[in-house]
Amino acid sequence: MSNYLGNYSLYIALIASVYLIFKSYLDANSENKYLDKNFILITSIQTIMITVSFFSLVAAFVISDFSNETVFNNSHTLKPLFYKVSGTWGNHEGSLLLWLLVLSIFLFIFLLNSRSQDTKYKLLTILFQQVIISGFLVFILLTSNPFKMLYPIPSEGLGLNPILQDPALAIHPPILYLGYVGTSIIFSASLASMISGNIGDKWARHIKKWVLVSWVFLTIGILLGSIWAYYELGWGGFWFWDPVENVSLMPWFCLTALLHTVIVLQKRNSFKEWTIILSITTFSLSMSGTFLVRSGILNSIHTFANDPSRGLYILSFLFILILMSILIFFFNQNKISNTAKENFILSKETAILVNNWFMMFFLSVVLVGTIYPIFLEVLNGSKISVGPPFYHNLLIPFLIPFLIFMSFGPSLKWIKDKLKKFNYNILIIFLVSLLISYVILTKTENSFLLSIPLIVLSIYLLLVTIKDFFVSKSSISQKISHFGFSLLITSILLNGLFSNEFNSNMKVGDERIFNEKVVKLIEVNVTDVDNYKSLKASFEVTNKNSSFALYPEVRIYQQPLTITSEADIKTTLFSDNFLVFNILKDDGYYNVRYQYKPLMIWIWISTIFIGFGGLLSVIRKNEQKY
Amino acid sequence: MLKILKLILLLSFSFNFSYANEINTKVDQITKNLRCLICQGQSVYDSQSDFAVSMKLVVKNKIDEGKEEEEIYDYLKNKYGEWIVYEPELNQNTFLLWSIPLILFAFGGLLIIRKVSIK
Repeated sequence: MSNYLGNYSLYIALIASVYLIFKSYLDANSENKYLDKNFILITSIQTIMITVSFFSLVAAFVISDFSNETVFNNSHTLKPLFYKVSGTWGNHEGSLLLWLLVLSIFLFIFLLNSRSQDTKYKLLTILFQQVIISGFLVFILLTSNPFKMLYPIPSEGLGLNPILQDPALAIHPPILYLGYVGTSIIFSASLASMISGNIGDKWARHIKKWVLVSWVFLTIGILLGSIWAYYELGWGGFWFWDPVENVSLMPWFCLTALLHTVIVLQKRNSFKEWTIILSITTFSLSMSGTFLVRSGILNSIHTFANDPSRGLYILSFLFILILMSILIFFFNQNKISNTAKENFILSKETAILVNNWFMMFFLSVVLVGTIYPIFLEVLNGSKISVGPPFYHNLLIPFLIPFLIFMSFGPSLKWIKDKLKKFNYNILIIFLVSLLISYVILTKTENSFLLSIPLIVLSIYLLLVTIKDFFVSKSSISQKISHFGFSLLITSILLNGLFSNEFNSNMKVGDERIFNEKVVKLIEVNVTDVDNYKSLKASFEVTNKNSSFALYPEVRIYQQPLTITSEADIKTTLFSDNFLVFNILKDDGYYNVRYQYKPLMIWIWISTIFIGFGGLLSVIRKNEQKY
Repeated sequence: MLKILKLILLLSFSFNFSYANEINTKVDQITKNLRCLICQGQSVYDSQSDFAVSMKLVVKNKIDEGKEEEEIYDYLKNKYGEWIVYEPELNQNTFLLWSIPLILFAFGGLLIIRKVSIK
């Protein structure tokens, strides 16, 4: 029943899409002053149909309707309800349906929110957004229909990858998709504004909200993915430069650049073309992200679909969209009224250009590192791996100038600033950060040349961003985000510098002495839980004057047979103690990995600060002043 | 050109600190840079698969034989292909990989200089 409902509502949504494409195209060419009432009506019908379709899939998962192939492949009656629901988007078909749902909801909200905008501009935005929506609808119906029926109906499902059964991962895709899909509105709106020629400060103010919303969701989405990787994948790192991680980071760099550029457009009415280019690029990166992940070209732990025909479809669709936007860009470039303004070297405009310069560089490193191996393999068959050392070698040295620019760029004035008289506050802050860095660096044995300026500068930037809370006139949201960013960089650096670990095979009763701590394996308990068998170890870590227990776990799932390791982490404000163990073939021995990771929690907290600043900017009305 | 780039990269390699204290032994250091070929997106160090376990042994034996880090990478690359190391070496194949971002950065810098008037 829910299969038919879900399937046919998608067809109705497709019909609505086709109607809207034609109607908006015709109306945009006529000189109608007002938006036809039908647009809101048809768009809401479409949104309702896609919502119905999505929830009928959710319902099929909840009642374990195995006549549905997607449910059969990805669910199991023994699975807890929460994961039955999240299983809806934990697979290829369902996640695309979620993409589609967000696409249509965003368009609906856009229509409600832009009543004061020019009619032609709105019509064109609907047109482009519907082109994307219809593209996804056809893609789903042709290659990835989540409502395929099975007969005879199987009595039990195949289960969901247990590594994906995790609260952080259950909400990570929807949040990330909100960010990805938000960029589609920016894309459609910027093409529409190019054609209708209304690009300028007024448009910037209107689109800035969408940029901010997408950026906040993308930031939090990446954070959740990173937290999941940290405690579920068991290597104790929060970023592995895995292609699927990179794919979410690339639009983030681009969107961060756009977020700054759109402010220049709003205040100074310049950088128009560049704003459009960034909007197009951001969306293309979000789309290629979907393409790269879904097509299975990437060798990655997160990829759960391998089907070349799907990849081919998304690739062609992406190609058409990019071609379309390039053509629109070139044929409408003359409509951009450029009041050529002079940019002075000491000005906020230039500072934002420099921000964009570095964002584009970071983006290019990640982009080239992610896709180069694919192209190389296609071109001459050589297979290479591009892993963490590549990214670290190229990115870390460039952090030094970036941190310097970030420490004074935001406080520059618009148009033209003067070189100020020597500022003693800055000197004092710099000396204090030198002192703090000295104390920190004497505590570590191996200090490398590059880590000295990095630590000094990140602490300096941190102090400057704290000082700005009391001195600077810029908006509170910007202060919070910039403070969050400097805290993030500082935490990552100190975490990298002071982390240490041991890796050893132990049996029950064994002790290992490590950095003045004694780690003892006390016992391992075997129990049967819901849909897996659990081996719970209990460890005791004794410090000089205190001790605490850690209970890492190994889970053996039967449907399908998978072994996962659940780390146990003791988190304090200063450090994480991370312990994970694995079963070994030698009877009675376990492989134990213990890691000491300072300031781990601050990596998460600082990212929340970054996102919170953006959120504040969305909800505060008087932000416009700055 | 290739030589200059190599020199720059070599300098930045020697500064690479990100793993710093984590690496307690040579084996850990080397196996962190090796891809576990039968796993998905894990290093040999992070994995407990049969392949990874035997790789750790191979690396340990090579160190005991007195082999240098580079020699071990070369040996493994000959045996399993370049794919096994996470850090792509600089050669004809990867010249563009290392240089495209740097070229783009230089290009971006030029654009900004042209756009900004220095007064």
